[in-house]
Amino acid sequence: MTGLMVVLTMILAACSGPQEQESEASFVIGAIPDQDPEILQRRYETLSAYLEGELGVPVEYRPVTDYAASVSAFRVGDLDMVWFGGLTGVQARLQVEGAEALVQRDIDEQFTSVFIANVDSSLTPFSDIQDLRQLAGRTFTFGSESSTSGRLMPQSFLSQAGVSLTDFAGEPGFSGAHDTTIALVEAGTYEAGALNANVWQSRVESGDVDLNRVVLLWTTPPYHDYHWVIRPEVTERYGDDFPQRVIDAFVQLNPSIENEKEILDMFGAEKFMATSNDNYVQIEAVGREIGQIVDN
Amino acid sequence: MKSLEKFAPSHPQKTRILPRTKRWGWWLLLGIATVFSFVQIAGDGRRLINSGGWTLFWRFWRAALRPDLTSEFLEITLQAVGVTLSYAAFGTFLALAVGFAGGIVLSERWWEGVENHYRGRGRQKGFEFRMARTLLRVLLAVPRGIHELIWGLILLNILGLDPLTAVLAIAIPFGAITAKVFAELLDETVPAAFLTLINSGTRPGSALFYTLVPQTITDLLAYGFYRFECAVRSAAVLGIIGAGGLGYQILLSLQSLRYNQLWTLFFALCLLSGAIDLWSGLVRQQMRDGKAEKSSSGGGVGKKGSRLGISLWAAAALIPWSFYFLQPQLSLLWSPRTSMLIGQIGRESFPPRLPDGGVMVLFDLAGQTLAMSVMAALLAAAIGIFFSVPAARLSITLSGYPQALSQPVFVVSRIILLFMRAIPAPIWALVLLFILFPGILPGAIALALYNGGVLGRLMAEVNENQDLRPLLALQTHGASWGQVVFYGIFPAGWLRYLAYALYRWEIAIRATVIVGLVGAGGLGRLLTQQVSAFDYRRLPFTLLFYIGLTLIVDLMSGWVRRMMR
Repeated sequence: MTGLMVVLTMILAACSGPQEQESEASFVIGAIPDQDPEILQRRYETLSAYLEGELGVPVEYRPVTDYAASVSAFRVGDLDMVWFGGLTGVQARLQVEGAEALVQRDIDEQFTSVFIANVDSSLTPFSDIQDLRQLAGRTFTFGSESSTSGRLMPQSFLSQAGVSLTDFAGEPGFSGAHDTTIALVEAGTYEAGALNANVWQSRVESGDVDLNRVVLLWTTPPYHDYHWVIRPEVTERYGDDFPQRVIDAFVQLNPSIENEKEILDMFGAEKFMATSNDNYVQIEAVGREIGQIVDN
Repeated sequence: MKSLEKFAPSHPQKTRILPRTKRWGWWLLLGIATVFSFVQIAGDGRRLINSGGWTLFWRFWRAALRPDLTSEFLEITLQAVGVTLSYAAFGTFLALAVGFAGGIVLSERWWEGVENHYRGRGRQKGFEFRMARTLLRVLLAVPRGIHELIWGLILLNILGLDPLTAVLAIAIPFGAITAKVFAELLDETVPAAFLTLINSGTRPGSALFYTLVPQTITDLLAYGFYRFECAVRSAAVLGIIGAGGLGYQILLSLQSLRYNQLWTLFFALCLLSGAIDLWSGLVRQQMRDGKAEKSSSGGGVGKKGSRLGISLWAAAALIPWSFYFLQPQLSLLWSPRTSMLIGQIGRESFPPRLPDGGVMVLFDLAGQTLAMSVMAALLAAAIGIFFSVPAARLSITLSGYPQALSQPVFVVSRIILLFMRAIPAPIWALVLLFILFPGILPGAIALALYNGGVLGRLMAEVNENQDLRPLLALQTHGASWGQVVFYGIFPAGWLRYLAYALYRWEIAIRATVIVGLVGAGGLGRLLTQQVSAFDYRRLPFTLLFYIGLTLIVDLMSGWVRRMMR
């Protein structure tokens, strides 16, 4: 019974708590990185401390691992700025009127996906998109459902070559992550798969992929991918030039300063650069085409 | 005969053998279910075993020997344990509160009391009361039919990234399950005292609180431990929605396949859930002894220093601590933003739309989900029954059974079961996918391993609680230990095994949502697709099908329970 009383007291105390803090509203950010997410998600203090110094406002990092969850958190306003993939960025902007795509990495302008296959499938590398037709009748896995490089763009290129999802042997898999896609193709569970070219590259360089078991079939043409998207009300809170200050903070990241290099490495970037909503028109069109964007 | 009586539990479980006709019915149903799921599995004509992935398969298991024990990662793990524990504690607390209230209004006894009370004053309400109760049952299938994770994602759109979201995602479905279990407890308790009060004109509420509630509350609290262990494992799945904790860390390490880190986290989860399991076993054991004592000498349960008492004190400390640790903003529940967001979601999901291909697609996918879950439940039941004897501390000494082995076998079985349920189903699915081809089978086995870990534990407890007299009778007549197991223990426990298996079947149905990577998710695949596309208009029908499947299981388990009574 005493326990219950204590609980009730605490509940009542907590109810009156939140209002007090509103004078110093934090700039709340979140991110779903494309590669080694555990590194950023476990050491985000470096990033929030850097931004706090540059922007002069308190910055709070909220870890979320799921694409849909981060879009929803952005939609309800619990995240002010999020590092989204191409598709999720579009989904988020469609749900929040006035949201802006701000900054991207150097590599996001020329992002690519790779198609890979298990050697036992006897599929061989090709350079013509039409050769994706060879994948019809094979088992195939994408990465996460909401991933631009692991699902959206690969599916779009497949459909350009005339391969639809029903043409595979059985349903296509959704492995959930790029590394899992590599592992499942290496195991031969799925004969082929598609993933983020950066992840592929870095796994090949580090020797984590058994190249006797997996072959690179084809690299896609470039498209736009990851970028920071910001909610419109931040200008009311922190001033009209706030989005520009955010852009500057990222663009100025200097690889010769230790902390800033760590941030660039966490994102797998050489440098950051400004971007705009117009860069994702193609992604939006593809998203609608494959049903990942619907009009409610 | 007299000397045997002291072995009899105070609540002897009825060892009723089913009438032959009903038994046939069950075997037939079991046969149809098995054939159906095998046809679904073999139907696509694909190969099942993949020999190419053994290297990757062993890489996962070898990492168990070298978990990441760097101080940096141990710190992360410890922090995650704290977060998981506090979500589980707070979620369980709410679930028990909801379950207590819900259980009362769901119990047949309560409605019987209400009916008697008012009919006694000359009103005929029989039909309306039955309708109201049925409606409540259907309504309570809604929270149960939807996976915690989906609850989490829905609540996220309403409450945002607050810890409250994850707490409620645990409390809502668990509250509904607890309500169901508590209602069953109330209905299975001898109603004499309750009916006496009702017939003498006491209002049903008071009658309940003076009779059935005190009679069942310790059982409810003991059940709370089991819920707590489940909540710990659930909190491990909820990491996805930003709840943090072990599940979140497992997911992060999984995305880059850091097996060494994964194993550290699994071990932590095992320790946590093992500790809760061990303690709840001790509490229940004391309660059993207490009850036996009480029936002969009076007193026993609830006295100072009892393990349940200690646990209540621990809970009294843990719940405020977890509240302080998580800082959920309860004010969100009545904040204007919340009602605005509810309105927004409501508008966006109205009018609901069928998926492309219409309602037949839903039936087709529901068939796949059903096949995967039936297969999972059957395999899980087989695993459970297999472990139910070695993992039990039987009160009978099986003659001829090598005694030196029984303790190590017990410990090893319990540890295996613990690992089976501590490793989340999606991880089982991934590991299985290294050696099996995609399809229903790897999904079903993944769910079976996870649920088998739970069932083995529950069925062992059924065996521990069994009436000893028939077993002793068999043994004194010269039955070998194998014969005692097959002719004494299994036949007596089988209805309860079945009840538990049905209960896990229900869980397997909604858990098909989280094994989408096997490339045969059925309704679960459609659901994750719709969630990832924010397709709120098509979501309601999919959820409706899940709820429908849950209701079917509910009807069947109601049937089994009526046979037990």
